[in-house]
Amino acid sequence: MTEVLARLDGIVRHFGHVKALDGATLEIHAGEVHGILGENGAGKTTLLNILGGIIRPDVGSLEMGGTPVRLQSARAAWEMGVGLVHQHFTLVPGLSVLENLALGRRHEGRRWTLRLEEIRQEAYRLGRLTGLNVPFEASIEELGVGDRQRIEILKALLRDPQLLVLDEPTAVLAPAEIEQLFGLLRTLANEGRAVVLVAHKLDEILSIADRVTVLRDGRTVMTAALADLDAAVLTEAMVGPSSREEEEPEARVREVSSLFGQGTERLARDRALAARVVASLNGISVYGPRGELVLQDVQLEVMSGEVIGVAGVEGNGQRDLALLLSGRRDVYVGNLEIPDDVGFIPQDRNLEGLAADFDLTENVALAVHRDPEFRWGPLLRWDVIKERAKEIRSRFKVRSSDTRVLARELSGGNQQRLVVGRELSRLPRLLIAENPTRGLDLTATAFVRGELKRLAREAAAGVVLISTDLDEVLELADRIFVILRGRLTLVPSVRHSRAGVGAMMLGGGPEVG
Amino acid sequence: MRRFGQLGVAVVALLATGIIAAGSLWLGGYDPLVAGRAMLQGSFGSGTAILSVTMVRAVPLIVTGLAVALAFRAGVWNIGAEGQLYAGAIAAAWVGLSWGSAPRWVLTPAVLLAAFLGGALWAAIPALMKVRLGIGEVIPTILMNFVGIYLAAFMVHGPLQEARGVFPQTDPITDAARLPVLVEGTRLHLGFPIALLIGAMLWAGLRWTHFGFQVRSVGASPEAARVSGMIESKRVLLVAFLTSGAIAGLAGGIEITGVTFALYEGLSPGWGYTAIAVALLAGLHPAWVIFTGLLLGGLEAGAGAMQREAGVPAAWVSAVEALVILFVLAGDQIRRRFHA
Amino acid sequence: MPEAIAITAFLEASVRLGIPLALAALGETITERSGVINIGLEGSLIAGALGGALGALALGGAGAGVLVGALGGALVAMIFAGFVVGLGTDQIITGTAVTLGGLGFTGAIYQTRFGATGTALTLPTLSSVPIPFLSDIPLIGSALFNQAPTSYFAYMVAPVLWYFVYRTEWGLELRAVGEEPDAAAAAGVRVRWSRFWATLFGGTLAGIAGAHLALAHAGTFAENMSAGRGFIAIAVVVLGRWNPLLVLLAALFFGAASALQFQAQTLGLSLPYQLFLAFPYLLTLLALAGWVGRSRAPASLALPWPKDR
Repeated sequence: MTEVLARLDGIVRHFGHVKALDGATLEIHAGEVHGILGENGAGKTTLLNILGGIIRPDVGSLEMGGTPVRLQSARAAWEMGVGLVHQHFTLVPGLSVLENLALGRRHEGRRWTLRLEEIRQEAYRLGRLTGLNVPFEASIEELGVGDRQRIEILKALLRDPQLLVLDEPTAVLAPAEIEQLFGLLRTLANEGRAVVLVAHKLDEILSIADRVTVLRDGRTVMTAALADLDAAVLTEAMVGPSSREEEEPEARVREVSSLFGQGTERLARDRALAARVVASLNGISVYGPRGELVLQDVQLEVMSGEVIGVAGVEGNGQRDLALLLSGRRDVYVGNLEIPDDVGFIPQDRNLEGLAADFDLTENVALAVHRDPEFRWGPLLRWDVIKERAKEIRSRFKVRSSDTRVLARELSGGNQQRLVVGRELSRLPRLLIAENPTRGLDLTATAFVRGELKRLAREAAAGVVLISTDLDEVLELADRIFVILRGRLTLVPSVRHSRAGVGAMMLGGGPEVG
Repeated sequence: MRRFGQLGVAVVALLATGIIAAGSLWLGGYDPLVAGRAMLQGSFGSGTAILSVTMVRAVPLIVTGLAVALAFRAGVWNIGAEGQLYAGAIAAAWVGLSWGSAPRWVLTPAVLLAAFLGGALWAAIPALMKVRLGIGEVIPTILMNFVGIYLAAFMVHGPLQEARGVFPQTDPITDAARLPVLVEGTRLHLGFPIALLIGAMLWAGLRWTHFGFQVRSVGASPEAARVSGMIESKRVLLVAFLTSGAIAGLAGGIEITGVTFALYEGLSPGWGYTAIAVALLAGLHPAWVIFTGLLLGGLEAGAGAMQREAGVPAAWVSAVEALVILFVLAGDQIRRRFHA
Repeated sequence: MPEAIAITAFLEASVRLGIPLALAALGETITERSGVINIGLEGSLIAGALGGALGALALGGAGAGVLVGALGGALVAMIFAGFVVGLGTDQIITGTAVTLGGLGFTGAIYQTRFGATGTALTLPTLSSVPIPFLSDIPLIGSALFNQAPTSYFAYMVAPVLWYFVYRTEWGLELRAVGEEPDAAAAAGVRVRWSRFWATLFGGTLAGIAGAHLALAHAGTFAENMSAGRGFIAIAVVVLGRWNPLLVLLAALFFGAASALQFQAQTLGLSLPYQLFLAFPYLLTLLALAGWVGRSRAPASLALPWPKDR
């Protein structure tokens, strides 16, 4: 079927002085599942937002069903048959599920009344047709990510879109849920609609898409049917020819040694010799604001020199575990032992990691202000802190003109480099990293993962990686745990695979095949 | 770089305010030039004006401006400086009158200390409501302003009223409680260098001390302070809030011991509110507060002359101060947009 | 029977004191439902009072005064919204500045127009209009149903607003904007537009409250006569849990509590006069402290949108 449902051509879009899209094109055919691939920062979400009418391109044309259109708003896009399901959920917690489904649907001339019953009927009918089971009676706060996503998709489907667009839907799902979702998408495509799917994970796209468009640096570098491609070709398209700075392994090791200084080798040796338990949780339980158990009877020991991975779908207690392990929260039941110098890389770097209006030096001070080497009694030794900031800036390659640049002026990748560098440079005995590579491009991602591993191996620290990215956990962790509804379960090494861990993320026990 | 941006905003805000202010005068049927000249004459036009009127009027503005700046730096919206000032003044008058026979070296510090504590106490109620109960501090601090004003009124009509019992005011405090005059023949008193000292201490404290950094962090980003800085935000907020109230209370005490020597209704023509303009115009920077305090002190000093010679009502001045705040806010926003 | 008369007098005072609060609080309820806290409400109130006075004098009738008062309140709110919604300035400080400016400008205009003398202005008043039958109900009749038209307006506006917020598509969008503006925007709702109109509406109602104060309550205008009612109204919104019907009740309840001060006088308690003056503010503080945790504010209240500007 080559009926062209939508076509974007020559799209250019700036945000301030950043060029998010620089001549991107996209062509969607009816009945297909179309994958859009690209690194973080390649422009995928921007392109989708343009298709969805949320933002307008600076330059470029948009055609729907062969006719040129200008989408002035999200509403205009719906009316043209585009249903966009966003990456970050757009459900309103203060409203009921039905009210959320009703939001945005305008019945011109009847706006003075809300026909929730009608929506319920329609939603129910659609649910039966597609297999999307949505709990109408629940309140949004109680629902997990899988349910929320189903509601989002239902919300989009209620408007009967010709084009269903999903932005990174798999990021928060367990492998089995991803399969379910893909089954649904295939059904919808078979009905004659088109499904557009954005992902940055190659194997997911490979398993579902008919055709693929690859974006790199805001440009479309490839559009083809999947049958004609393989993973290698796609990867190269995404990343570009290997002209990135590949650093010699020895050079990196040398660099790290000079970062950590002479004392590190001895430190690492001492710590490694001790093979110490760096942190231990014994029978830890934590209660949430409504009295519910968010962490249940957690048993965990972190040894120096190892990386522990905690995999799980978002919303199963990771946040509380991270806060507890890093000493940022101290209301709990049970026995907790952690060192004083715990480092923490929080998942929301903008909100919790950095103060936007502080410069590099001040943000570094946030991590080190309690350490004696930076203090003189009640005073802070800004000269020493500034030196450390300069070191971090150069060692961890935080791109900025100097240390007086404000955190808000740094790009996401550089912000994360700052946070990582700041925490690691203290050589903590224990480091907790919460989704540390979320939203970062491939280079920054590889960098952060490398540093975490290095901290464990060379500085003999204990690293706890709490991540919703299963591949990241599999890549880095020596031991893997799965967190589900507040309970931590060890994954036996034989099951260290996507399928194995994935099943456990949803509740299959270790003994389940 | 950041400093210049801030200065630019202040200058542009003042210019914009000046234009609107002049325009509003013209609309009201007043002659803006006559009014402007009268104001400048009244505030900076002569030695007496500068020393006895402007600088004296600037003292409470600088001190309350510092109080507000400290609070705002911590992210605390202390709109209650007015009530805290009155609380400090009440405490100062009470101690000054009760221990009138004590020697100067005991009495003066005691009176000022009482003012300091009185202000802190007044801030304690909204502060605890915020920290313990999670209630936003804006409305409570404003409400406490009203209560503070009525408490002062009650005091001067009742317990602290002058012995004669004729006017709603206290007896004058003894000489031992009064701040010495700095320049012979003027009204410029020790309170001015005290204000400068407070400014210097606040500047140094925020910039160099560990606690000062914690205060700034909580103000810059409460979440980052808590998560990355492992800062006990609640404790820091509480101390900053109480200190802010204490400094505002001290302003009241300085006014009693340096200028009025007695407490009466209407002691403050809204200094606690003007302080917000003083603080914002200074970019919340303690050193700059001294200048903006002088500037707005001049504005208020000139207002009296303006009323006498051009007939412009005094209330207009507080309207102008409000404009200053609005333009500073707008300027900051626009500057931020330009950066991004 | 003296007791009945006392009760009626008390109820009458309660309604009289509660209505200006109710009008302002109902307006602010809508504003806050969109995620905007309007500390400048006091400015709208005093502008409404002056507008009411000037309008009544210039146009020769209290009714016209109310319209001018509404406009005055709306104008002040528009300035506030321009800064807060248009530019994204901090809501709290902008609101404080707007209130200070409102009090200053109204004071200056009043003095310019009428001179700084001590004589009070006499205004055409909004006389009470008794509602037939209802005003004859024993005890409560004359308190509730023998009021100025603006009071009846308050009674009617509350249920209308309730229906608007909970039972219409507009109201659904308003609530979405107040809870999760990003989600509302994604659903095609114009967030800034909603906030702007909600703020303007709140200011208009506060303007009517101010006109009521000048024309029905006091019969005159005096500088700063709003006396912090705008701030108290914001607290009343909290007590009423952002639900228009409950807000009306909370305002009347507040009026009743304030009316107690007059009861104390008749009971012969010799409490200082200033305590009576301070009473409403102390009461508000107590109410806020006591009501903590009972209700949840709209999640995006006081947060700018879009977030990083």
